[in-house]
Amino acid sequence: MFEILFKYPWTVFEKGRLVLLSGAPLWLLAALLAAGGAALGAQVWRRSRSGRVVMSWPRAGAIWLLQTALIALLLALLWRPAVSIATLKPQQNMVAVLVDDSRSMSIREGSATRLEQAAAVLRNSLLEDLKKKFQVRLYSFGKGLQRIETLEALEGKAPASRIGDNLKTIAAEAGSLPVGAVVLLSDGSDNTGGISLETIAEIRRRRIPVHSVGIGTEQLERDIEIREAALPSRALADSRLSAVVTFRHRGYADRKARLVVRESGKALASQEITLRGGDARQTEAILFNAGIAGPKSLEVAIEPLEGEEHRGNNSLTRLVHVESRKARILYLEGEPRWEMKFIRRAAEEDRSLLLASILRTTENKTYRQGIANPKELEEGFPARPEELFGFQGLIVGSVEAAYFTPAQQELIGQFVDQRGGGVLFLAGRSALADGGYARSALAELLPVTLPERKGTFAREEAGVELTSAGRASILCRLEERAQNNAERWKKLPALADHQDAGAPKPGAVVLAELTAAGGRRMPLLVVQNYGRGRTAVLATGGTWRWQMLQDHTDQSHEMFWRQLLRWLVAEAPGQVSASTPRGVLSDETGVSLQAEIKDRSFRPVADARVEARILGPGGSAEVVELNPAPEEPGRYAAAWAAERPGSYLAEILAKRGEEEVGRDVLMFLREDGVAENFRTEQNRELLTKLAEQTGGRYWRPEQARRLAEEISYSEAGVSVRETRELWNMPVVFMLILAMRAAEWLLRRKWGAV
Amino acid sequence: MSAFQRGGFRPFRGGEEDSPAPLPADANEKTEFVFARLRYPSQRYGGYWGFRGSWATDYPKADRQFLQGVRRLTRIHTRSVEQVVDLDGEEIFKHPWVYAVEVGHWNLGDAQARKLREYLLRGGFLMVDDFHGTWEWDIFMASLSRVFPDRPVVEIEGPDAIFHVLYDLDERFQVPGIMMFRTGRTFEQDGIEPRWRGVYDDRGRIMVAICHNMDLGDAWEWADWPRYPERCASLAYRIGINYIIYAMVH
Repeated sequence: MFEILFKYPWTVFEKGRLVLLSGAPLWLLAALLAAGGAALGAQVWRRSRSGRVVMSWPRAGAIWLLQTALIALLLALLWRPAVSIATLKPQQNMVAVLVDDSRSMSIREGSATRLEQAAAVLRNSLLEDLKKKFQVRLYSFGKGLQRIETLEALEGKAPASRIGDNLKTIAAEAGSLPVGAVVLLSDGSDNTGGISLETIAEIRRRRIPVHSVGIGTEQLERDIEIREAALPSRALADSRLSAVVTFRHRGYADRKARLVVRESGKALASQEITLRGGDARQTEAILFNAGIAGPKSLEVAIEPLEGEEHRGNNSLTRLVHVESRKARILYLEGEPRWEMKFIRRAAEEDRSLLLASILRTTENKTYRQGIANPKELEEGFPARPEELFGFQGLIVGSVEAAYFTPAQQELIGQFVDQRGGGVLFLAGRSALADGGYARSALAELLPVTLPERKGTFAREEAGVELTSAGRASILCRLEERAQNNAERWKKLPALADHQDAGAPKPGAVVLAELTAAGGRRMPLLVVQNYGRGRTAVLATGGTWRWQMLQDHTDQSHEMFWRQLLRWLVAEAPGQVSASTPRGVLSDETGVSLQAEIKDRSFRPVADARVEARILGPGGSAEVVELNPAPEEPGRYAAAWAAERPGSYLAEILAKRGEEEVGRDVLMFLREDGVAENFRTEQNRELLTKLAEQTGGRYWRPEQARRLAEEISYSEAGVSVRETRELWNMPVVFMLILAMRAAEWLLRRKWGAV
Repeated sequence: MSAFQRGGFRPFRGGEEDSPAPLPADANEKTEFVFARLRYPSQRYGGYWGFRGSWATDYPKADRQFLQGVRRLTRIHTRSVEQVVDLDGEEIFKHPWVYAVEVGHWNLGDAQARKLREYLLRGGFLMVDDFHGTWEWDIFMASLSRVFPDRPVVEIEGPDAIFHVLYDLDERFQVPGIMMFRTGRTFEQDGIEPRWRGVYDDRGRIMVAICHNMDLGDAWEWADWPRYPERCASLAYRIGINYIIYAMVH
C-alpha cells in the first residue's frame, strides 16, 4: 500500500536524503508562499466585507488555510523534490545468506522443522530474487561458518550457534569482497549469550546491513525450561545442600510438577512444586544430602509434563566436589557450661568436623579436648598465626574480651578477614556486652552493635522463632519443607537463657529471634560475611534444652549445631585454593585454572611450584604447570584446553622445594550441544537489535519476499547514488484533489458556494 | 512459688531432711549448674512416704557443703543449694547432672526406670554413691538393669578422662562414711574394696558413674568436723568436682 501511494518503498525514504532539483533558491519559494498566502487572505477579507457572502471569521480562516496549503504544495513541486539514495550496483555486489544450522533449528513446529521453514523462505523466491540482483553466497553456520552450494546441505545438527563469531568472519571477508548485505535466517539462539559490542562495531564500520529473518515460534505454548541451577561447587561430606533452581514455564499455570536432584540416575531428593501463573521466572529450592566424599555430577531436573513441546530443557548438570577434609574448629569456653557438652556431642556425630576445645575449669587451669597432639594448645589460646590458622572455625563462649591479649584480638580479626575463617560468638555471663566486647577490638568482627551496658545476660527462658531470612536459609533448616520447618522451630523447647545482643549491623542477617519475658523480641542468630570469612552471634548459651527437653531420638539440636558449625567453616580455604571462573564450559574448550597459595600463616607464597593433575573423560590424564600471575604474589594460573566433552577433575598441588604446601581439587564440565536445548523460543529481541544496530531490518518469514528489493539500498559494497523524483507520487495528486474537494464541501455546507 | 515459676530454688517440703543445714541467702540465684539430688522410692523405708527415704541421706547438708567447695575451687557457676528431683515429673530433664545416694536401697518402678533411661540417653549424667557390699550392689543392679538391660557396668580405668578432667585422681582410696567412727573400719558390710564403675554410652562416654563401697556424701557432710580425715574429705570433693566437670564437657 505504501509503495502504491508513495511510488517507492519505505526504505528509500528511511535511508535516503531529501533534495530539491530545480536549483532555484529556497528563499524564493518562501517569498512566493508568503505572497500567495497574503493575496488569498486579502481576497477572503474583501469578500467577507462585500456582503455578498455571509461567513464567520473562523470559517473564512479554514477556507484560506486550505487554499494556501494547495498553493504551497504546488510551489514545492515546482522546486522538484527528490530522494537521493545509495543503491547497490546490480551483479557487482555479494550478499551473504547465513542459515542457522544448529540443533535448535531441528525443532519441529507444526508440520515443519525450523530449518525447513528457513529453507522454504529461501526457496519461496527470496533466493531467486536475490540472485537476480546480486551474487549470492550461501552459508550454514553453527560453531563455525561453512559455505554451502545448496540448501540440501543443511542438517540442523551443529551443537552450537555462534551468531556473533560468524558475523565477524563475514565482516572480515568484506575486506576483500564487496559484501553488500547479510541475510541471516536464524532462531536467534546464540550459545555465547549474545553478540559482542566489538562485533557490532566491526559490522557497522564496514556499513554492512544485517537483515535478520526470525525463524521459529516466539513463544512456546507448553514448555518448562530450567534457566539456572545454583549449587555450591564444593561441600563437606554429608552436608545438607540446597539447589536453587530458576525456571520459567508456558501453559502450565497452577499445575503441579516434580523437582528432582539425581546422581547417576538415582534420585537424591524429590519435591513437588506448584507452577505459578504469568511469565515471570520462578525460583524453588530443593534440599539434598551431599553424601560421601568424592566428585559428584548432579542432574537437577523438573520432570516433563504431559504435552510439553520441548523436553531437552528440563534438566541441567552441575558438578559438586564433596570434600573428604575434616574442618577443625576451636572452641574457647571460659567456664564449664552445659552448652559446651551438647555442642561437643553434636559435632562428634559429624564426620566432617573436628572440634578442639579449651575450657577454663578453674582460674589457673584449662582442660583441652580434641587436640591433635599433646602439645597443641598447651599454652592456651593461640598467640601465633600458624597455630590459630590451622583451624577453620572458632567459637568464643562465655569468656571476657580481656582474656585475650591485644595481639590475640588482632589475630582473631586476621583469622576472619585474611585467613577466611568463621567465628561464632555465644552468649554468657562473660560474653558479648557483659564480657566487655563492646569496647574491645573484637567488636568490629561482631555482626551486631552491642548494647553499651552490662546485665544483658539473663537466665530466663525464651522462645525462638525464625525470621523470613531464617525460613529461607539452609542453616536453620530442620525440616525439608520450609513451612514445616518454621513450625518446628516454634515448637522447640524454650532456651535456658538469653542475652541482649543489640542491633544487627548493616549487611548482617538476623536468621532467628528470641522472645524474652514480656514478649520482647531480640536477635538470636545473626550472621554476616566479614572480609574473606564470616562471623555470627548466637545470643544464648541454652540451646542444650532442645536436647534435654525432647525425646532422645529427636535430632533438632544436633542438626542445628552441625549446620551452624558447617556454615562456619564451609568457605574457609586451605593453604591451596583452586578455582576456575566457569565450572561449565558450554561448547567451548578453553578453561582457566587458577590457584592461590598461602603458607601456614596464610601469607602469599610467591616461590611455589604449582601443577594441576587433570583427569578427564575416559581416564585421560595430563599434568599442567601453573605460572605465577604477574604482580599478584601467591596467585598462579594456567590456560588449558578441555579437548573432549565430559567431566574433569584437577588436583592442584603446590610445593616449595620438596615440601608440600598443600593441595586442592577442582572440577569442571565441558558439555557440547546442551545449550542448544535451552532458550529455544525465537530470540526476536536479539535479531531485531542486531538488524537495527547494523542498518538492516528484522523480517518475519512471510515478509521476507520484499527483502530482495529493500536490500538494494545499501552503502556497503559497490554502490551508486541515485535520485528518485517525488513530484509524480500518486499521493501528491490525491492530496491536491482532497484539498479542493474539502474546500468545495465546506463552502457547500456553509452555503457559501 | 514465684521462685519455682522462674526456675529458681524449689524447696522440698517432704520433711525428710537427714542433716539440716541453713538456707543460704543466695539460694534463689539462677545459675548454670544446679546440684540435683534424685528422690527415688526405696525398699528399706517402704517408698517415699515412710519415715525417710534413703534418697535423703546426708541431705541437705552434704549437698550445700559440697557446693561451697565447687564454688571456691572451680569456675562453675553453681547455685548454693541443691534441687530435689524425681523420676515422676519432667523437672529432672532441666538438670543434666543428678546425684543419687544409698542406691543400695532404691527400687525404681518400670515407668521410673524408663524415664531414667530416657534422661541418660538425652545426655543426662547420674552419679551414685554411698552403697556397700554385695547385698546392696544386687539391689542397685536390680533397678539399674531395668534402666539399661543391654548395657554392662564396667570398671572405670585410671586413664579415663573422668579422673583427670580437673584433678588427676590416680591415687584413689576408700572414702569412709561417718560409720567408721563407730565400727573402726573404713568399709561397710563386705564392701572392702572401693570400686569406681560406670555405664558407658555408644560413644564411650560415661552416663552413670558408680561410687561403690565408699561414702563421698558423708565426706562432704562431715568435711567441717575436725575429726573427719581431711585427706578423705579432699578426695571426696575432688571426685565430685571431676564428675561434675566431666558431665559438663563429655
